[in-house]
Amino acid sequence: MKTELVFAIPKGRILEEALPLLARAGIEPEPAFADESSRALQFATNVPGLSLIRVRAFDVATFVAHGAADLGIAGNDVLMEFAYSEIYAPVDLGIGHCRLSVAEPAEMAAGDDPRSWSHVRVATKYPNLTSQHFAARGVQAECVKLNGAMELAPRLGLTQRIVDLVSSGRTLKENGLVEVEKIADVTSRLIVNRAAFKTKAAAIAPWIERFREAAGAA
Amino acid sequence: MTDPISKGLLPEGFRDRLPPQAEAAADLLRTLLDQVSAHGYERVSPPLVEFEDSLVTRLSSARPQDLLRFVDPLSQRTLALRPDITAQVGRIAATRMAHIARPLRLAYGGPVLRVRPAQVGPQREAMQMGAELIGSDHVDAVAELLGIALEALSAAGLTDMSVDLTLPDLVGTLAAGPWPVTAPLADVQTALDGKDAAALQALGAAQYSTLIEAAGPADTALARLKALGAAGALDTRIAGLERLVATAAPHAAVTIDPTERHGFEYQTWIGFSVFAAGVRGEVGRGGTYLVRHPGGGEETAVGFSLYVDGLVDAGLGASRRRRLFVPLGEAAQAAKLRAEGWTTVAALTDVDTPARLRCDYALKNGELIKL
Repeated sequence: MKTELVFAIPKGRILEEALPLLARAGIEPEPAFADESSRALQFATNVPGLSLIRVRAFDVATFVAHGAADLGIAGNDVLMEFAYSEIYAPVDLGIGHCRLSVAEPAEMAAGDDPRSWSHVRVATKYPNLTSQHFAARGVQAECVKLNGAMELAPRLGLTQRIVDLVSSGRTLKENGLVEVEKIADVTSRLIVNRAAFKTKAAAIAPWIERFREAAGAA
Repeated sequence: MTDPISKGLLPEGFRDRLPPQAEAAADLLRTLLDQVSAHGYERVSPPLVEFEDSLVTRLSSARPQDLLRFVDPLSQRTLALRPDITAQVGRIAATRMAHIARPLRLAYGGPVLRVRPAQVGPQREAMQMGAELIGSDHVDAVAELLGIALEALSAAGLTDMSVDLTLPDLVGTLAAGPWPVTAPLADVQTALDGKDAAALQALGAAQYSTLIEAAGPADTALARLKALGAAGALDTRIAGLERLVATAAPHAAVTIDPTERHGFEYQTWIGFSVFAAGVRGEVGRGGTYLVRHPGGGEETAVGFSLYVDGLVDAGLGASRRRRLFVPLGEAAQAAKLRAEGWTTVAALTDVDTPARLRCDYALKNGELIKL
């Protein structure tokens, strides 16, 4: 019996970097996959029994944690936010490099002493991670959950600080924000559903090996 | 607006089981217990509620905040609903049955309750059944329990099973011996829980990522574990694994994951989990552990727990009984048919029909008719 595997790939930023990696691991998706305007949801590959789905970065973790997808690519930012015990992250793919940081308006940072904080109000896509990070240093964080355009929050007075991914720092600068604290370095990981790792071991173990090699070769 | 509770809204994580699933759950529990009792495991039935202290001290895995607690209006002491029956069986073995010769083989089945549902799957109430052998953690005892668990699950109709073997105390043993770590051991174990090779690298424990690579189908995993060498620290464990792989192989595909801790917080040298196609998450798990005695002593033990709900949700045990409609005036013959194994559904008034009472068969003038 051929084992069917579903591989969840995040849309957007990571997708471009992931495609060459998939190719090095021997996975060629059907042409519609790379076409952002395609309305299809599930895509075949050159590998029989292996199909790809293209979903939002946060949803990759959800699909894999619940076993709806067996494999996926997700940043450790997403993994830390959900802390799913049902996800394994056996390979650091070395793509999607960035960092998760606290940022605030430049003029505020000039006179601000982080040591004196007892309570902060933060706009973020990562409410769990943010409150844990601040709680660990004894600061209570009030998180306002946003799904994008975090940089608007300080400008319009929604919150003074944000916690967001930073790669070049250009977006922050354009919005008059400066990075004041790094929470974590972020890279994308190959993730595997815990039950699938065991019940489909014969099919999944070779893929982990191939991605380990593909990531090492980069 | 109508009050949602009056419409039957239940608290989060709880549900009603209706026909035929309620019947299936009861049948499956019966089947599993029968299998276990045929091997000489005697049934015990601990209560739903105990003193909080008793549950917490005997269950190394449960913290007070994991228990559903309340103050007893009579004694004013804090009571808790059991999150697991294994610890209760351990208590019985260490107190009321402490004088019975070992090995002591006990079985149980009943509902348990968790405060928080697991991340995947919302249920807070579960039907747990299991068997415990107190007085040994020898590989022969583990093989007996693993074999019984797989036999019982086959008898319940489960197919396409896979067994994952793990060595819960391996990382601690390696860290204390041949593979010392500078980072806190708990951090290394957390990284291993997520099979997070990058985090191990960052902790300066890159050596341990070979254990992640060693996880997989039994034959390759055993070969890789042997190749690790690890100064003989692994020899007896590898021999134990080989024995258990041989035990499980006739019933299931076998994988080995040397660092799996999920659900094995209180296990000692060996743990196993059972998965099956069509059932989300583990069907059950087991392994060796220590039973604490009141005087402070400890006793080795091995056991397993199976969760019936996953089997019901996978559609097992739903052997639909043949419901036979008995019209008014034919009750006399129904008794004989029940003795032959039929389920009879009697009409109470002449409004009742086989269709209204969900019957597949009907009795008509003494004749059985399939509808």
